[in-house]
Amino acid sequence: APAAAQETFTWKVQSHWPGASSSYTDSLVRLQRVLEERTDGRLKLKLYEAGALFKAQETFNAVSRGILEMGTISPSYAQDKVSLAGIASGLPFAFRNVWEAEYFHQGMGFEQMLRDEAAEHNVYWATDKVYPTEMVIKKPINNWEDFTSLKIRSSGVLQKFLTEAGAAASYIPGSELYSALDSGIVDGAHWGAAQGAASMALYEVAKYHVQPALNIAGTDVIIVSMKALNKLPKDMQEIVKDALDEQFWIRTNEYLYKERLTLAKVIAEQGVQVNVLPDDVQDKLVKAAQAMWDEEGERSANAKKALDMLKGYLAELGYL
Amino acid sequence: MSIEILTLLFFGSLLFFLLLGLPLAFVLGGVSVIFLYFTWGFDSFYMVASQIWGTMGSFTLVAIPLFVFMAMVLERTGVARDLYRMMHLWFGGLRGGLAIGTLVICAVFAAMVGISGAAVVAMGTIALPSMLERGYDRKMALGVINTGGGWGILIPPSILMILYALITGVSVGQMFAAGIMPGVLLMVMTVLYILIRSTLQPHLAPALPPEERGTWPEKLRALRAVLLPIGVVFMVLGSIIGGITTPTEAAAMGVLGSLISAAVYRQLKWSILQEAAIRTFKLTGMIMWILFAAHAFSAAYQSMGAQELIEGMMQHIPGGPWGIIVAMMVIIFFLAMVLDPVGIMLITLPVFMPIVKSLGFDPIWFGILFVINMEIGYKTPPFGFNLFYLKGVVPPGITMKDIYTSVVPFVIIEIIAIGIIMVFPEIATWLPGVFF
Amino acid sequence: MSVLTAFISGVTRLNDFVGRWIALLVFAMFAFLLLEVGFRYLLNAPTAWTNELTQMLFGVYAVMSGGYIMAHRGHVNVDLLHSKLPPRKRAVMDIFTSLIFFIFTLALLWFGIDMASESISSWETTYSAWNPPVWPVKLAIPVGTGLLVLQGLAKLLEDIAIAFNLDYHRPDQSISEGEQS
Ligand code: NA
Ligand code: NA
Repeated sequence: APAAAQETFTWKVQSHWPGASSSYTDSLVRLQRVLEERTDGRLKLKLYEAGALFKAQETFNAVSRGILEMGTISPSYAQDKVSLAGIASGLPFAFRNVWEAEYFHQGMGFEQMLRDEAAEHNVYWATDKVYPTEMVIKKPINNWEDFTSLKIRSSGVLQKFLTEAGAAASYIPGSELYSALDSGIVDGAHWGAAQGAASMALYEVAKYHVQPALNIAGTDVIIVSMKALNKLPKDMQEIVKDALDEQFWIRTNEYLYKERLTLAKVIAEQGVQVNVLPDDVQDKLVKAAQAMWDEEGERSANAKKALDMLKGYLAELGYL
Repeated sequence: MSIEILTLLFFGSLLFFLLLGLPLAFVLGGVSVIFLYFTWGFDSFYMVASQIWGTMGSFTLVAIPLFVFMAMVLERTGVARDLYRMMHLWFGGLRGGLAIGTLVICAVFAAMVGISGAAVVAMGTIALPSMLERGYDRKMALGVINTGGGWGILIPPSILMILYALITGVSVGQMFAAGIMPGVLLMVMTVLYILIRSTLQPHLAPALPPEERGTWPEKLRALRAVLLPIGVVFMVLGSIIGGITTPTEAAAMGVLGSLISAAVYRQLKWSILQEAAIRTFKLTGMIMWILFAAHAFSAAYQSMGAQELIEGMMQHIPGGPWGIIVAMMVIIFFLAMVLDPVGIMLITLPVFMPIVKSLGFDPIWFGILFVINMEIGYKTPPFGFNLFYLKGVVPPGITMKDIYTSVVPFVIIEIIAIGIIMVFPEIATWLPGVFF
Repeated sequence: MSVLTAFISGVTRLNDFVGRWIALLVFAMFAFLLLEVGFRYLLNAPTAWTNELTQMLFGVYAVMSGGYIMAHRGHVNVDLLHSKLPPRKRAVMDIFTSLIFFIFTLALLWFGIDMASESISSWETTYSAWNPPVWPVKLAIPVGTGLLVLQGLAKLLEDIAIAFNLDYHRPDQSISEGEQS
């Protein structure tokens, strides 16, 4: 091989997951291993746990400026740059199954639309996985009054949605979430789904796991600096992109498997019960959600296009 | 350049410029920028600005100005002074009585806040003048506040424990439960130390002469002074435990309580509130600028490869499982002399936790050892948050040297406490087992 | 030397003025947190804006304090060596260490301006449920740092005057050394 091809690269990677999060190992450490193997050790990732170099909200900017070569984020942290990020972080009660969101991203071209918008900021966007966001609550929801009497810890678009739907949603920082649930400042919260809730020990203080999901979306994203990517020899650029494409399918599938595993475990060991929302509650939530979707489409022409595409798709599936 | 040499140069420069008298915040920030330039390049300064932005957005820190303001109001309106007069009338006959009373107030404060800065500043404002006025040795008084003020992170609620739980995946509730008995242990040991020391050297913490101890009617009248502080404590703790507020919001309840107290004392005047607000601004700003720079400093150290250094060190530890645990404690102790707790957590825990678990130790128990070690770090020179916060409130005559040397016996007590909890892990692990 | 004295006392007065107003934000933070507790606990209707607004006020409060505190010599240092030196030697040492001060604060000023102008150019909002503009808080970083740099410059000039025995009047003692209580 030519001498230039033998050059080795070390990338700083800022995670938005703490080290104890399963995604840190399953997504990032996996990617680190795969890339090192496939480039014969020419590309090394140096991983940093959540907050070590940059806070999650700043990671997109750092990668965009090329200070960091790679990072992980939630789309919501890039909303001021990427107009599609609102739709990417999940419209409430749109998809009913994870495969539907997978097909929307990869089969219908939503992922490419995201990639094009991020590219304007010198960022290569690759959704790590698609997964549901589900609530845990302290007392079950058996009717609409039960739902509207809830105080729920939420954030971003879902906080707005839950408020407009009639519950009392407020934002409490993650560090105070456990205590807030424990002492009854809030009656419910969403932190990912089962794995997220278990990682925050929320099932110790809230025993009902609510289904269906509040949303299903590409909530974890791997972002790469285009500057760093373009510095790599062509063959290595392909290896990186292929590995990221493959990562989406492997991780989505693995994550779903682990969701079920975690839920089964907390049901068996901590007495957690699955609380399936009654049909009339679901219907009301879907109506409240649909009223909100259009706001996301107003962000840009691109967002409008994506929303129309989504609505057409959902109609095709028989949901609208 | 290897991380070993970088580490020496990095912390060497920190100490050098600290000794030259440049304020801590600027030393931390300036040294970070210089080292970032040589290891990462000009663009990386963005990280310094970004760390400051992140610190400005930390909700739990909002409790600092509120608790400090509460303390300022209680002090300026005379509520705190009357509380100390009461303690002196009742316990003045006991050598070290005021110091012990201060420790009790510290423990109550620790149950109200999850961070250490607010308590140190508050107690430095309230308790220090009272003890000095009554002839307490300045090192005794400073040491008591340094150590008691730091209990906020061991007695629940505790932000540091929540972070530990997030990074290591243990239960927050179990960590909180585990902190209670070690907190009591530390309290008992510290009180015993003060009793013994003031018996041997009465001039350090003098008792009130018998003729000044007050009559029973006087004592009973003075008891009224505890009603308002108890009311404030009740408002804060009650609203946390009763599920009315988060710990941060509870700080606002504390302010409300202090304002009510001021009104009862007929001292609810704009001049007093304004002065309290300005002193609060100065102290909170001082803490925040140190935090801004400290966060940039530990991020810079991490970017240089701090974790590899720890990984490398762990490969050369002899002495079996217990040798490894002790070595970890020693490493944390030295890091805590120069780094902030959150930085230490991010650097060491990812390396330590897998080892701790594979050796079969309880991560909750290790977490308690870790948190006590952080408490020690808060007051070990040259870089300890409690030391600097205290420096910000002491009267002009008290120097950094006084504050530095005041902590020695209290650090030794806490090291002994770590030893005791190592030998009797049940002190930490029993309560979580009962609760969960 | 009157220009020098005027500059030093002007900067100190400016920081004093700004600080006295910003210090009052503590009342607003208190009020909003209390309001949120009331809304949530008594009315069962938590707001989307109180805690976030409190957080933003706190950010401004903290970052704008740097210059005021420096004007009042409130940034703590280690005085083991420093306080034992005679005034001229201390001034010389402070001139030397001011290099570190300016490296930090100018880097912060540069990237603070960068960060704020980026935020202003896109009229960045927080995208929370309340979704307020975030640029005023980001703008506080360069403004607060700028005030700190000015005060640092004033101190440097003062130190130079002391070190070289320049004929110069110390600015209002009550402002630079007062309020030690
Ligand atoms: Na506490
Ligand atoms: Na220390």
